[in-house]
Amino acid sequence: MKENNPLSPHIQIYNWHISSLVSICHRITGIINIIIITFICLWVTFLLLGSSNYELVQKFLLTYFGKFIIIGTIWSFSFQILSEIRHLFWDMGLGFELKTANITGLLVIFGSFIATIAIFILGRGLI
Amino acid sequence: MISATKKWIFLKLSAVILLPLMIWFLFNLVSFYDKSYQDVILFFTSQPSKLLFSLFIIFAYFYSALSISEVFEDYIEGEKLKNVANKTLFLFAIIIPILTILILYKLSL
Repeated sequence: MKENNPLSPHIQIYNWHISSLVSICHRITGIINIIIITFICLWVTFLLLGSSNYELVQKFLLTYFGKFIIIGTIWSFSFQILSEIRHLFWDMGLGFELKTANITGLLVIFGSFIATIAIFILGRGLI
Repeated sequence: MISATKKWIFLKLSAVILLPLMIWFLFNLVSFYDKSYQDVILFFTSQPSKLLFSLFIIFAYFYSALSISEVFEDYIEGEKLKNVANKTLFLFAIIIPILTILILYKLSL
């Protein structure tokens, strides 16, 4: 009898959809972003320790891993910005149709990568 | 007005304020992350970046605390544990921005 009991559906049994992917990524990037902002606050704290100690931070940020963290930060923030704009449109009652929701979901995913490149290029003054 | 509605309004208001601050910070982060100690100090201690950065961290922690408490609501079953998690979260969301802003003002002296 026990073996015949139905199990609660788990997240793994569902097929992936654009909306679910964007929703999960919205939550994950939200948590990552606040961790990043906490590290930025620590970065500010490091400034109190003087220029010789700050060189450690500067050297780290100049490594490939440091640059990866910076670019990852831009992507994570960009994703959150675009996804939050999508949520704000939903709050106004717009964009709930399945086709529109899929298109805006794709815009968030691909837009976050395009925004990352654009912010990096413009922020570094490469154009 | 019920507390859930108030929470939703605060969440949305903080999101609207946070969006331009995030964009502003990203452009600046990209331009100064590899700069010298003096340049980074200058960025954080001169206006308007000191004020904008202070607002950025205040609203970022406020928004994050409200949204992460929703994640706790969804994934933590026990009321007691949920309460502890929420109180810890809100405590950090108050302490970290205040300490960082105090450090910014100390750096400006």
